Amino acid sequence: MIRQWYEPLSFSEWLRRTFSFLNIAVFIITATFIFSEFRFDWFENLVGSYLVSTNESRPETGAIWETGKQTSNAHEYLNEIISKKEDVRQNVHQAATFFDLASGILPGEWVTLEKQRFRTLYLTLEKSVALKIIESAQLVWLLNGTSLDRIFCEGVTGGIKIYFIDSENRVIKQIDLSREDILEIENSEKPVPGELSDMEGFSGRIYPAQNFFDAMFKLPADIIPDLIVNPESLLKQDGKIINIGIWNETENGYIKLGFEFEEPGGKQVVFIKGREWAVWQLSLNLKGDEN
Amino acid sequence: MNLILRFIKFIRFCLFSSLILVSLVSLCGMFLIFFVAKDLPKLPSPLSRIIERPQTRIFASNGQVLISLGERKTIPLNMVSQDFINAILATEDHRFFEHHGMNKLRTLKGLYITLFKTGKVQGASTITQQLAKNLFFSFEKTYQRKFKELLVALQIEASNTKQEILHAYINQIYFGAGAQGIEKASRVFFGKPAQDLSLAEAALLAGLPKSPTNYNPYRHLDLALKRRELVLKRMAQVGFISDLEAAQAMMIKPALHHAQTDSRTGSYFLDAVINDLILKYGEDVVYHGGIKVFATIDTRLQSYARQSLKKGLERLDTMMGIARETADHLQGALVAIDTGSGAVKALVGGRNYYKSEFNRAIKSLRQSGSSFKPFLYYAAFKSLGFHPGTIMTDKPVIIPVKGSADWEPENFSKTFSGDMILKKALINSVNTIAAQIVEKIEPESVTRIARVCGIKSPLQDVYSVALGTSSVTPFEMASAYTVFANLGIKHEPFLFWRVEDAFGRIIFEHIVQKKRVLDPAITYQVVDMMKSVIDTGSGRSIRHLGFNRPAAGKTGTTDSYNDAWFTGFTPTLCTSVWTGFDKKKKLLDANKVGITGGKGAAPIWADFMTNALKSEPDRDFPIPDDIRFETVDTTTGCNPKEDDESFEVLKVPLKPEQQLCVEGEL
Repeated sequence: MIRQWYEPLSFSEWLRRTFSFLNIAVFIITATFIFSEFRFDWFENLVGSYLVSTNESRPETGAIWETGKQTSNAHEYLNEIISKKEDVRQNVHQAATFFDLASGILPGEWVTLEKQRFRTLYLTLEKSVALKIIESAQLVWLLNGTSLDRIFCEGVTGGIKIYFIDSENRVIKQIDLSREDILEIENSEKPVPGELSDMEGFSGRIYPAQNFFDAMFKLPADIIPDLIVNPESLLKQDGKIINIGIWNETENGYIKLGFEFEEPGGKQVVFIKGREWAVWQLSLNLKGDEN
Repeated sequence: MNLILRFIKFIRFCLFSSLILVSLVSLCGMFLIFFVAKDLPKLPSPLSRIIERPQTRIFASNGQVLISLGERKTIPLNMVSQDFINAILATEDHRFFEHHGMNKLRTLKGLYITLFKTGKVQGASTITQQLAKNLFFSFEKTYQRKFKELLVALQIEASNTKQEILHAYINQIYFGAGAQGIEKASRVFFGKPAQDLSLAEAALLAGLPKSPTNYNPYRHLDLALKRRELVLKRMAQVGFISDLEAAQAMMIKPALHHAQTDSRTGSYFLDAVINDLILKYGEDVVYHGGIKVFATIDTRLQSYARQSLKKGLERLDTMMGIARETADHLQGALVAIDTGSGAVKALVGGRNYYKSEFNRAIKSLRQSGSSFKPFLYYAAFKSLGFHPGTIMTDKPVIIPVKGSADWEPENFSKTFSGDMILKKALINSVNTIAAQIVEKIEPESVTRIARVCGIKSPLQDVYSVALGTSSVTPFEMASAYTVFANLGIKHEPFLFWRVEDAFGRIIFEHIVQKKRVLDPAITYQVVDMMKSVIDTGSGRSIRHLGFNRPAAGKTGTTDSYNDAWFTGFTPTLCTSVWTGFDKKKKLLDANKVGITGGKGAAPIWADFMTNALKSEPDRDFPIPDDIRFETVDTTTGCNPKEDDESFEVLKVPLKPEQQLCVEGEL
């Protein structure tokens, strides 16, 4: 049924229509709505609760979160430094040889080593090789006769630096080891494939094994142990010694000797070191035999 | 009748229009809330987490905390003076405990004033809204930002108690002068904990957050007091205090604590350390990483350094007739380095940090004048085989310079003294002899020695480098002279020993490495000459001031009297002092006579070194084994005749192969 709206024709109709039940109900509801909000703040609570429910899905933005991010960046960076340091420390502590120690520290990295650890690693070295790092007497003095606090190893381009430092961080002794030194330490006991005649440093000082040993046994018995200080690397070889060479330079009171072995796989040279004066005595015998 | 009908029609129109409007506004509001809510920042839980921030601490060599960066001291509400809580509530939001994040009536009023009263803006932020703004939003004034801030405030209210909100608010609010949080503010402004604040003090602090810069009581005490008056009146209005109590508090003049006046470090040394750390680790680590830095500074020596420089500059002000109020103050810098390690023990980069933060000790490049001569003499001894007893002639010198006018150096005295041994030439700082030497050895030899000693600033390879025309910093000079103090051994200067993370794990350690850069015997010969500079030469004012320990050094004064230097050392401590103006201006006394390094900088050096070394035993410089001493006639360079006492004699150290009666005129 369609009802045509028309303007009230009388004042009473105007009043009746204005104060109709619907109008009064709408008015009361609206008024209650507004006043209850002022009284109970339900709208704020409603919106607040809604936002609490969406909190987890919202972004971490704003000044305080930025500060938080800066803090976590800082911690991340610091943890990175610490974990790198820890890795180096682990490597160094697991190092079985001096070579492992030296190759475990890259340029820019450093690690502090306890005295005992350094002593243990040093003692694994062959005496003549250990000299390349530090004189054993000097090490005894450093470890037992000074105010040495710890040993600080720092990786640098082309090698490592070892600082013996006291409790005030002052360097008592510094050792610079180049990568070549480290490689030499590593390879000191390993036989090198090839012949003595191909090695320039032995030129003119290569002797047949028989001549060498004949001359050696002519030496007084107490000199021979100083001639072949560490015979272990020679005893490990299965082949036959055919030639022995004497190096043309001395190093820390030692002279390198090269023993050329004939092995099934080809010729190999094993290097050992002999004390300078013992080698000199031997050379005299060798020259005498030649004359 | 028509009128009544019209009125009823109008009422009805208004009613329905309002209804529609309210419905529309509600709908739009809901839509807006849903739309904006997804971009609102997430709130941390619990709210107190926002205040946690690790502090970076810098310690002095004696373990004293020099500064805590990013420091924010959080305290519970019951550790805060009730007067402060009342004052902040009365000022910022007296209905804080009644609303749920928004004060609607105040907001409507504020909105009405802002919209309909041209040029007026009325704020209506509650404490919760302010907290939301401080934590998450910029200070950009837009309606969108205000709306978001309101929504976050509603969430804060919905998920926290009023106590938690108030706690977060007072612990993060900024009061100026580098003070964030009420505890720090209370300690900065009044030197006491927040729970001991009186009503007058609490009201002053409660007035600051509105504009920490404009109401900073250190700078604008009158404005801060007016603001406090307003706070007290407001407290009385709200009923927290009586009118009498307000009036009584208004009469009290606050006793401000003067330890720190703003957020700056207040120390040139700390600025240098922080800059170094930032270069090494970046700002995030320095300001937010909570690292511990163990600096080299000795607080006792630093205090002496500040006092000596202040006293010395005031003395020079008087000597020069400079008024206290002048804007163009005489400046100075002092750097003291431990010769045995290179650790910087004291560093002052200017007269007053709060007036000028420019660190002259590290950044100010100034001509060093004759202070550069020790490098020249070392180079001459090394490359020409000269020694302190070598004879040269103080005479007019003209040195041709390729592509430029001839160089005609003059002595300060404008006179010439004829033949003299080199030791005397350095003692009297004779420029013509220095010029003849540099001509013989070439400037490159001099700059090379300066470089190996640690001068890093650009040095020009020109003849005048011998007279100190290249610019260097006091830090460099102090560092380079430590090589002489150590008889040729160099230690790199450094500002901190160790850096640890928040858990005490070491991330950096300074290892003191020594490097021999100069020959010890030759260095000793130069040091011996420099000892005489202090004993009888241009630095003799040091002895007149009562500094009697074995020490060596050299004065430096530039041609135009723009700079006055003294750099000197004992076997354990090397100190460089510079004085001058920031602008190109001469150091002239009241009689318009130029002030030299001996008059300007040496007394500051003497005062500092006397205090710095007072608890140390006297120690002389060790004499290298191959040094022998000979007494020579200063004008002939030969042993004096036994019966002749008319000539001036000096003892000179010689190396075994060196002979007397040698002329340096090659």
